[in-house]
Amino acid sequence: MAANATTAVTSPGTIAVPGAAPRFTKTRLFRAIRSFAVFLAIWWGVAAWVENPIQLPTPARVATALFDLAASGELLEHMLISATRLVIALLVSIALAVPLGFFMGLNARANAYLDPLVELLRPISGIAWIPLALFIFGVGDVLPVFIMVYVAFFPLLLNTIAGVRNVDRKLVDAARTMGVGRAAMLRKVIVPAAFPTVMVGFRLAFAGAWAAIIAAELIGSPSGLGFAIEWYRQLLMSPKVFAFITMIGSIGYVCDVGLRALQRRLTPWADGTGL
Amino acid sequence: MTTATASVNGSAWRRLLEVTLVPLALVVVWQLWGMFLATDARAPVPSRVVATFVDLVANGGLVGALLQSLTRVVVGFAIALVTGTTLGLLMGSYPWLRDSLDPIIEAFRPLAPMAILPIVLLWFGTGTPAATAIVTYAAFFPLLVNTVHGVTRVDRKLVQAASTMGVPRTSILLRVVLPAALPSILLGARLSMGIAWTAIIAAELGVGAKSGGGTSGGIGQMMFVFYSYSIDLNAIVVCMIVVGVVALLIDRLFRIAERRLMPWRQ
Amino acid sequence: MTTANATAMPKLRLANVSKQFVAPRTGQLTTAVTDVNLDIETGEFICVVGPSGCGKSTVMNLVAGLDSPTAGTIEVDGRAVTAPGADRGVMFQDYALMPWMSVYDNIGFGLNYGTPGKGFTQEKRDERVRHFVDLVGLKGSEKKYPHQLSGGMRQRVALARLLANGPDILLMDEPLGALDAQTRLILQVELLRIWGETAPQKERKTAIFITHDIEEAVFLADRVVVMSTHPGRVKAVIPVDLPRPRTEHTRALPRFGELGEKIWNLIRDEAYRAIDDTGGKAAPVAAAGH
Repeated sequence: MAANATTAVTSPGTIAVPGAAPRFTKTRLFRAIRSFAVFLAIWWGVAAWVENPIQLPTPARVATALFDLAASGELLEHMLISATRLVIALLVSIALAVPLGFFMGLNARANAYLDPLVELLRPISGIAWIPLALFIFGVGDVLPVFIMVYVAFFPLLLNTIAGVRNVDRKLVDAARTMGVGRAAMLRKVIVPAAFPTVMVGFRLAFAGAWAAIIAAELIGSPSGLGFAIEWYRQLLMSPKVFAFITMIGSIGYVCDVGLRALQRRLTPWADGTGL
Repeated sequence: MTTATASVNGSAWRRLLEVTLVPLALVVVWQLWGMFLATDARAPVPSRVVATFVDLVANGGLVGALLQSLTRVVVGFAIALVTGTTLGLLMGSYPWLRDSLDPIIEAFRPLAPMAILPIVLLWFGTGTPAATAIVTYAAFFPLLVNTVHGVTRVDRKLVQAASTMGVPRTSILLRVVLPAALPSILLGARLSMGIAWTAIIAAELGVGAKSGGGTSGGIGQMMFVFYSYSIDLNAIVVCMIVVGVVALLIDRLFRIAERRLMPWRQ
Repeated sequence: MTTANATAMPKLRLANVSKQFVAPRTGQLTTAVTDVNLDIETGEFICVVGPSGCGKSTVMNLVAGLDSPTAGTIEVDGRAVTAPGADRGVMFQDYALMPWMSVYDNIGFGLNYGTPGKGFTQEKRDERVRHFVDLVGLKGSEKKYPHQLSGGMRQRVALARLLANGPDILLMDEPLGALDAQTRLILQVELLRIWGETAPQKERKTAIFITHDIEEAVFLADRVVVMSTHPGRVKAVIPVDLPRPRTEHTRALPRFGELGEKIWNLIRDEAYRAIDDTGGKAAPVAAAGH
């Protein structure tokens, strides 16, 4: 007779522990802390083994550098510069992309004519524009903003178009049968219906811009976080380099989490896009 | 019959017009601006761009630089593919691993590849290893994230069906989970390759800018040289267009591969 | 409740089986099935019917080894079930065919592993797959992919795959549920033929077939296990004394109607309640799966 298989495969899907709320050791926060502790420990170990303070400073020295930079105000200074540029760029980008996106989304003809241009420009990444932009604007404030506007423009535009086009026809028809006029239709039906997708576009634009600013500032700006990490690298002051990089990553992470929460808050009726 | 073909042809012509009108119009405007309104003699103009393109291909090593960039991208992508999909398969299959590594990955994912350029420069100096490292870092996350996404969404019934047929665990992973996750993995590969291409340009540009333009090689460095040394704006535009065209080709190539590798998807 | 045959060990025995589920976030317990006792002999065709939520699929998952009982034991040939295995083949409600494999590869998948495939040469495997392709009437479609097949054809692939692996026990969870009524009637007769209803009982495979179609259950089964819900338990086991082989004429027999009515009477009240039930009672309620 056939023996029962000894291979225990997938988990049955039930948690065998009956009872109340999960213990702290099982919460996500704890696991995150634990993972980072392990990460720091490995970092420390490798740094000690490599023994090259320029190539890999210990976490302690990076932390110290972080405190010093914060205390001297330098950290905040560069952060504010980069953040200001980012905000300006995003505002400009929204002002350009969203209206155009609505126009193209609602007007199939406009879309047919303009889309080829968009599709031609899109593959040319924002980074590739840096040399030309450097020539036009020179080193300074405008360059990072320009590059960010370019990078943020496409996700916002494309998502706005998609959001508008994907508005459920039935919603529009239902509003029509209730006698809703064009202006109100736009304001009360199309904009809210398209908003979740536009929001996703904004998140993508934000992430893209935050990545692009580092490259732009690194190459073509005398200030900002991107500039700082390169400046201190040339001085071989690694702890400060690492400190700034940590800051860059943290800001990106916090903003992404914040935007996700904002998205959930503003559009609770939208199903999770999984993004 | 004639009227039918006439209208079909009519709409085909119209499609062509729609697709080319705006871009062509802009090129014409640009050319006219360059010829009559531009104040700077170095301003890029379509006619000179084309001439520069021919010149760069024939004499200027454009093809060589392009191949150099592509090689780095392919190597970086390959490393990221192997590490990213393997780790993704494991993380997708073992929740404890996923829970442990997720915080670290979520922390590094928003950190742009260019942000680690200084570290890479400290470790590898300038040149190909540095550029390849940036590409690998950039290509890694989309592959990993999409693989995990694909694996966790594998229909459990398929895994259960295989287990009721006595298929051992590793075989289930390779012959059920992997194929079932393939659509997501291939999507991740396509996204990843696109990001890798952008990253190599950025890396070469950055390295070129910081090392006096001499040693990074590739299209990115070429662009920087044309900015800082020769100040040949037409050449810069040529490079930009090349970057764009390659990006498009990569995307098309991967889409074709997706269709080929998954004949069971309609 | 059936009493065990004292002289011979049943093929499959469920003794005092209960299954509770814990809701992951709240920790709330729901009892899917409780106190299930069944003895099933070799070669029997058992149908399990009951209203939604009575735990039919849960019981099947437990027998298949895809899940383990909270209490009680499940034994096959006297040995406890701990994990899925090739001896207990499963046919899922939505067939669970591998979309990237052809009909041929799907059917032969398990033959590369597990007991029936051991020691088989590639030739023998091919022979076996072809045999079952013919048996279920899919000759000529071997190279097609599942998405190219109709529902009825997919069902036959799933059946062929089930049988090709040569399990002792066939577990089928509403396999005909997704088909239209006419196809279903035809396939019921086919299923019995393929199962081998004309062979002597000891030589047939043991089959457990879950359905909510009472007439289907009476048509196919040697015995019908009727389950009730809130919480899920075995309410009665009804022997079906209709002659084999079962044909279209079987449905016209008065006995067929009697049995159907008897079973319906057992379920009726709960079936009505299942429609009205808004849930949320204070006591644990069998709500998980069915």
